[in-house]
Formats: sequence, C-alpha cells, structure tokens
Amino acid sequence: MANLAVDLKEKSTSKSKINVTLSKSFKIWISALTIAFLIGGYFIVERFFTGLAATNLSSITPWGAWIAFYIFFVGLSAGSFLLSTLIYVFGMEEYERVGKAALFTAIVCMIVALTFVLMDLGRPERMLNAIIYWNVTSPLAWEVHFYLVYIGLLTVELYIAMREDLVRAAKTNSLKGFVAKLITFKNATINAATKKRDHMWMKILGTVGIPLAILGVHGGTGTIFAVVKARPAWHTALFPIIFVVSAMVSGTALLLAMYIIKKKVQKQPIDQGMVVSLAKLMVGFLIIDLGLQFYEYLIGWYGLETEHLDTLATMMASEKAWSFWIVQMLMGAVIPITIVFWKKTSQNVNALLAAAVLIVIGIIGVRFNIVVPPLVVPVFHELPWGNYAPTIKEWMVSVGVVAMGLLIYSFGELLLPIEETSDEVSHNGK
Amino acid sequence: MGLFSNEKKVDYDKIVDKMLPDAKKEMDESQYDTELGLNMARDARKVISGKLKIEDFHKVYSSSLTKEFGNYYASGDGPDIRKGDGPKWAMVIDLKKCVGCDTCTVSCKAENRTPPGISYNVVMESLEGEFPNIKAVNLPRPCMQCDKPACAQVCPTRATYKMENGIVAIDNDRCIGCRYCIVACPYGARSFDFGESYEQEMQGANDVTSPEYGVERGNREKGKTPIGTVRKCSFCFHRLQRGEEPACVETCIGDARFFGDLNDPNSVVSKLAASPRAFRLKEELGTHPNVIYLR
Repeated sequence: MANLAVDLKEKSTSKSKINVTLSKSFKIWISALTIAFLIGGYFIVERFFTGLAATNLSSITPWGAWIAFYIFFVGLSAGSFLLSTLIYVFGMEEYERVGKAALFTAIVCMIVALTFVLMDLGRPERMLNAIIYWNVTSPLAWEVHFYLVYIGLLTVELYIAMREDLVRAAKTNSLKGFVAKLITFKNATINAATKKRDHMWMKILGTVGIPLAILGVHGGTGTIFAVVKARPAWHTALFPIIFVVSAMVSGTALLLAMYIIKKKVQKQPIDQGMVVSLAKLMVGFLIIDLGLQFYEYLIGWYGLETEHLDTLATMMASEKAWSFWIVQMLMGAVIPITIVFWKKTSQNVNALLAAAVLIVIGIIGVRFNIVVPPLVVPVFHELPWGNYAPTIKEWMVSVGVVAMGLLIYSFGELLLPIEETSDEVSHNGK
Repeated sequence: MGLFSNEKKVDYDKIVDKMLPDAKKEMDESQYDTELGLNMARDARKVISGKLKIEDFHKVYSSSLTKEFGNYYASGDGPDIRKGDGPKWAMVIDLKKCVGCDTCTVSCKAENRTPPGISYNVVMESLEGEFPNIKAVNLPRPCMQCDKPACAQVCPTRATYKMENGIVAIDNDRCIGCRYCIVACPYGARSFDFGESYEQEMQGANDVTSPEYGVERGNREKGKTPIGTVRKCSFCFHRLQRGEEPACVETCIGDARFFGDLNDPNSVVSKLAASPRAFRLKEELGTHPNVIYLR
C-alpha cells in the first residue's frame, strides 16, 4: 500500500506536468475545432430549415456525401473496436498503448456516424420511427438497433477498461480526479479479485462485441447495400465482407495516425516497435481488401450486365474517375504499401504516419466510390443519369459534424484516463 | 313572389312525380317480391329523414331478405378484403398502341399535382437498331405496384406497404425520408419531395393539392408533409375510390392503357394478362409487377 501511495504521488505530479505542457497546444487545438464546429453548425442549422434542398441530391442519386461519411465512420468504429479486441480478447499486449483510445474512438465514431445519418434524413424529427415501427425485413432498421446496442456495449467496456485508472485518479486532486469521483463508487478499490473480475468482463464483452461488430455493425452496414438487387454493383455476397475488411484497414490506420500525432504533440517518446508492427498489420488488411475488390470488379465485369458495366465505367473511366484512381488506388493503396515495405521508409515513424493518414483519406474515397457510382447509373438506360457532386453546404455540414466528433474526443481525453498510465508504460517496457 | 312560391313548388313536385316510374308496375316486372320492395323503399325514406334507425331497418328486413335473395344477401358487410375477395388492381399497357405522346405523364402531373422534379409516370423513349432498320420504343412507366415490392421490404419504418387491393402505398406521416426505398426500387418509380414548387411560374400553385391515398392535406407549405418524404404513383387511389380510372388510363390518346381487377377472371386486364404478348419489366428480379405490358 505504501508503495502504491508513492506511485500515486509520482503520477499526480507527472500528470500535472503533462497538463502544463499540454495546455497551450491543447488550447489552440480546441479553439480551432470550436471555430470549425461553429461554422459547420451554422450550416447544420440552415440545413434543418431548408431540408434536403441544401444538397445536390436528386431522386436519381438519392444518397451522397453524408451517407458516404456515415459508412466511413461506422467503418472506423468497427475497425478500431476490432483492434481493441486483439488486445483485450486475444492478448496482443504489444498494442496495449492504444487499447482504451481504440474503444473511445469507436464510441465517438459511432456518434459521428449516426449524426451523419440524422443530417441525411428528410424528416429528422421522425428518426425514432425506425425503432417504434421496426420493419424486420429492413436491414436499415436492424442496423439502427445494432448501433445502439453496440454503443452501449462499447461504453460499458470502456468503463471497465478505465476502472482501475478511475479509482486511482479519484484519489488525486486534478480535473480527471474530479470526474473520476463522479463516475466511480466511493468504496471502489483495486485488488487481485477486482483485477481478475475486470479482466474477465473485458474478455466477455470483447467476445460478445466481435460478432456484434463484424456481423451486426459493419457487415450489417454492408448488407444495407448488398441486399439491393436493383443495383447490381452492390448486389454481391462479397460486399459485406469487403466492408468489414476495409473497416479493419481504416480503423488500424486511424489509431496509428492518432497515436503518433498525439505523442509528437505531447513530445513524448514513441514506441517505434509498436508503430512498425501496427503499420504491417494495417497494410496486411489493406492487401486482403485489395484482393477482394479485385475479384469483385473482375466478376462484375465478366458478367457483362449493362448496369454493372456502366457502374464500373462511371467509377473507373468517367470524368470523376480521379476519385477511384488517385484517391482510392494511388493515395489509399499504392503509396502506403510502398512506404511500409520500402527499406528506407519502413522504420521511419514520420513516413509511417504519412502512410496511415493516406490510407484514412483513401478509405474516404472508397466510401464515396461505393455510394455514388451505382446511384449515378439509372435503373433504366433511358432514364436521366445522375450527376452528383456535394455542394459547399454539404461539405460544411460534414466539417461541422466531424469537428463535433473531434471535440467530444478531445474533451473525453482531457476528462477521462484514456491515455495509458505510466504504470502500463513500465509494464510494457519490461 | 315569396307569397306565391309555395304553390309553385307543389307544381314542380307534381312534374317530378309524373316523370317517376310507377314503383308497383316496375316491381311487378321484376322476379322479386313486390310487397317487400315497396315496403323497403318506404322505410328507406324514413331512414334518410331520420325517423328510423338503420339498425332497426336491418333487423326488420334481415329475415325476409335472406328468404328472398338467399346467398346473394350479405348482412351489411362488403366483400371481405382480408380474404382476398376484393379487387386486385392491375394495369395493362399495349406498347403497339403507345405513340409516345406523353399525355399520361402530363395528365398524371395535373391530377396528382406533383411538384417540380417528381413525375409518377414517365415514358422512356429509345431507338433500337441502325438506320434505316430502326424502331422506336416507347415504354410508359408508372409504379409497377409489385406483389413483392423491394421498397416495402427495405423500408425501416413500414411507412410503405402493400394494400389489400394490390396498391403499394406510402404513409407520408410515418416516412422518415431515408430514401432507402428509392435506392431499392428496380423501376426508378419513387421520388423524394425536396420541397420545390411551381409557385414561381404559377400563382396559387401551392393551393391546389391532390388527396394521395385519400388523405386531403390542404395547401402545400414549407416543411409540411409530404415535403421531406418519398412519393410515388398510387394508381390514382383517390380516383379509384370515386369509381374512376387512373388519370393516365383515362387520357391515353391511343387507348393503350387498360385498368381493372386481376382477381376477376372476366375482366379485360385478366384476359390481356394471359395474352402471349404479355410481359412484365425485370421479371427476373422476382418482384412480380402488376403493370403488364403487351409487346
């Protein structure tokens, strides 16, 4: 106990030091986000008054940027959650540094994803109808339910993952300590029994969460598209699987990028071994994803179905093909794979950071290419073709929603013990 | 004139009475009971003027009606639509008769008062073949009112559903505007109401609306249903309720469209649907449309 007390003292002093070094860059970061959120917020409010007339959507192309961002953030969430299960369920302790951040990222990404759906509804005030009048044959209605259960599970899991740190923090006099006191019981303690109990619950929740995240949340989101037989390019059994794999790619890339950026800003040492290994994992997922996409396009092309060919042509050979070749393929695949495998860059943290950021941007391109091209091609060749590009208003609303997510994340990190404690660092450094 | 008006009215009534057929004579000519008919007519007038309750009327005549008409007499209920006794509406479009004049599209817009960007019915025109061996195909496309509608399958709120009479309906008060049905419809028959209006071109355009699915919503106003929800052809359900054909059927200049009850084996649509020329759009998708084309 005496040792623990000394430990705690050391920790509280080191934490206040961190806070001091953090404060300036943190303040700049928060004010930049607030400005972005306020500008975006204006357009969000405006959108609620004008309705979907604020967008470039039409009855030919009824889904656009907001749906693309929605599936992008669902993917990030599922990906970062699955990464956290590697740690808490499969015991890959080398990634423990990003464990709680992965869980919290998963929660915030879900909130952002659902906000994008809300923006996209023609009648946002009726959103609860999807729960009240649940249609059991609608994948979208199932997804709304899965998302809510998933967010609940993530929240409980994050709480248990943080519990020891919360109990420790509750005894300190810092801002985190104050929050910790609010959300822990007075008689909460840490001993061998609670450690065992927490560990067991992490394993149970993680195990329940894996099928929920794969089949329910992200496979299910892919199913929303895959069941639509009216759009041949979506209507393949491989589609939900590609969704899950690309979620793993983007989730890993996002966590890697966030870890490196955070450590750089805080001027703390970066665990190079973990970064290199995480980058390898990320590119591994990316290569599987590319393989699946290759078969998807090949078989679609070989089928010679007019609408399928038109969709592929719209994606790969129209004036908007830059989104496929430059964003999805060059930025999202070729450059990052080169960086991770080329000897000169494979150990360089900055280069790997660039690879991770490029992959995240590349997956945004993937999401747009999933949503838009099949909806540009009309269901009959004689009907008018769609011509969709997001309006400034759509972009500004998106900026506002993303800024909101980043604000939630930043304040969460300020108030909750999400970053690894020095205890874990020593444990990892053994 | 007021003083004399009473007398005049009696004169008019007499003229009308002279025009009426003699009830007793008419009933004698029919194969059914004269006495019963005359009594029922007298009591029916009492029901209309409020001197007799409709329930009592039914009570008095129920047994004698059963005796007189047997199985044809139903005790007040209409056909039980839940048993599939009611009509199942279907449309047959003869492509050989269609000249591509777009009258159906225009009359549909006029009848249903659809806003800019929304047409429940369109005519898809295409040229097939190489000149001079060329053929023009005009393919009118209303909503197919599928028996297995992909749109109703994916709707998260059950706002769109299949009615017993075969029409696929939308509850615009429940629709959340997610547009999943538009994405899922293989016929492109659904449109989102973005809230646009012809008010700029035509004064008072928002004041005239059409009662879709029998619901009269009054003026079209910003933010008011059906704006922000999905809309589609309803086979002019409000006209069917009045015993009229859909507007596109009524106005077709070449009489290319037929409308009727597919449950009735003697209806024109049933007979045409059995023709070797009959086909449906995208049959391979299994949606089973109730709009049948004659090639």
